Amino acid sequence: MILLLQNIVRFVLLVLVQVFVLNNIRLLGYINPYIYILFIFVLPVRFSRATTLILAFLLGLIIDAFSNTPGMHTFATVLVAFLRNPVINIFTTIEEGANPEPSFYTFGVITFIKYIITLVLIHHTAFFFLEIFTFVGIGQTFLRIFLNTLITSVILLGINSFKKK
Amino acid sequence: MKKLFAFLIKYSVVILFLFLEVISFSMVVKNNGFQQSVFFSSGNTILASLYSVSNSVIEYFYLKSTNEGLASENTALKNQLVQLQNQLETLKPQSPDSANIKISPDKEISFVQAKVINNSTNKLLNYITLNKGKRDGIQPDMGVVNEDGVVGIVSNVSEKFSVVIPLINPKIQINSKFIRNNYSGPIHWEGYNYRYVNLNDIARHVVFSLGDTIVTSGYSKSFPEGILVGTVDDFKISESDAYYHIKVKLGVNFRTLTHVKVINYLNYQEQQNLENTMQE
Repeated sequence: MILLLQNIVRFVLLVLVQVFVLNNIRLLGYINPYIYILFIFVLPVRFSRATTLILAFLLGLIIDAFSNTPGMHTFATVLVAFLRNPVINIFTTIEEGANPEPSFYTFGVITFIKYIITLVLIHHTAFFFLEIFTFVGIGQTFLRIFLNTLITSVILLGINSFKKK
Repeated sequence: MKKLFAFLIKYSVVILFLFLEVISFSMVVKNNGFQQSVFFSSGNTILASLYSVSNSVIEYFYLKSTNEGLASENTALKNQLVQLQNQLETLKPQSPDSANIKISPDKEISFVQAKVINNSTNKLLNYITLNKGKRDGIQPDMGVVNEDGVVGIVSNVSEKFSVVIPLINPKIQINSKFIRNNYSGPIHWEGYNYRYVNLNDIARHVVFSLGDTIVTSGYSKSFPEGILVGTVDDFKISESDAYYHIKVKLGVNFRTLTHVKVINYLNYQEQQNLENTMQE
C-alpha cells in the first residue's frame, strides 16, 4: 500500500518537474535532461512486466502530450521498460524470492551506476533518433545523446543518493 | 490451438511490448507532419490551462527584457511616425498663397531611446541621469519625453551619459499652452510635490476649466508643439490679480520613470544661428 502511494506520488512529481522545470532548460542548446524515466527504473525488480510496460506507455504519453513530441517519449520509455529486466539480469544476481527496489543499497554502487547509465543511454538513443528522425548529421545526434545521457544519469544518481536505506 | 494459447501466454510481455511500440511509433510517423492530433498535445484544454498557469509565473522573469524590447520598438515606431508625418506635410496640396508654403525639412525630429539610471524626486534641485551620451547623438538642450509626456531638458552631456533637468526642478521653465485655445505660459515647479507644477502668465480673460489639457507650445528648440505636459488640477484668482494661479497635474510620474526618449531637433543649429544673428 505504501509502495503504491509512494509510486503514485513519484509519478506525479517526476512528471511535474520534467514538464514545468526541466523541459524549459536548454543548456548549450543540447542539454535537456529527461529524469521522468526514473519512475520506471526504481520499480521493484519483480514487478509485473506487463504492468510496467503499460505504466511506461502512460508516462510516455503524458510527457509527449506536454512537450508536443507525439509518440517519441512513449516509444523510448516503453523500450527501457521492456529492457529493464534483461539489464537487471545481466548486472545483478537477485535471489529468487527477493523483490527489492533498485538503489545504491540493493544493487551496490557500481552496479547501480551501470544499470542507470545503460538504461538512460538506451532511452536517449531511441528518443533523440526519433526526435531528429534522420541519420543526417549523425555526429551531432551522438553528441546530443552523449551529453544528455551524462547529465540525466548524474541527476538520477544524485536523486537516488538522497534515498535512505 | 492449445499450443497457440500457450505461446501467447508465454510471450505475452513481448507481444504487449511490440504492440505498444507499434502504437507509439505509428504516432511518431503519423504526427511528424504539420497536422498534430490535438488531444495528445499541449493544444488539449487541460494541458493548455496547466501551461498557462505555469506561464503566468514564468513571464515575470522576462518582464524586464520584454519592457526593453517594447520601449525600443516604440521609439523606432515613433521615429517612423514623425518621418511619415513630415512626408505627408510636404505632400499636402498647397494653396498658391505664398504665406502657406511650407519649407518642410526632410525630417524635423528624431528620437533617441534612453534608460533612466539615476533619478530623484524628493529634492529641490532634482536631476535625472540617462545612459546615453554624446556618442549616441545627445546634445545639451534636447527635450526629453516619455509616453506620458514631457520629462525635461538635457543639460550636461558626457561621452556615455547625460544629465536631464526635469520639470520638477525650479531651474527650468517650459513654455506650455492650453490645447483648447492656444494661450501659453511658462510651467514652473515650486518644489513641494513631484506630481504638480504651476502654469503662470495666464491672463484673467482666458477661458478654461478644470481638466483642460496643457501641452508644449513649440516656442522652443527643445520640444515640438503638442507634447502633453499635464492637466489643470486646480486654479484660483483673487480680485486684484491679473493672472491666474493654475495648478497642473503632470502627465509624467517621475517616481516611476524608467525609459525615456530624447528628442533630436535636426534644425537646431540653423535656428540657433538665425536667432543669434538677430540678437547681435
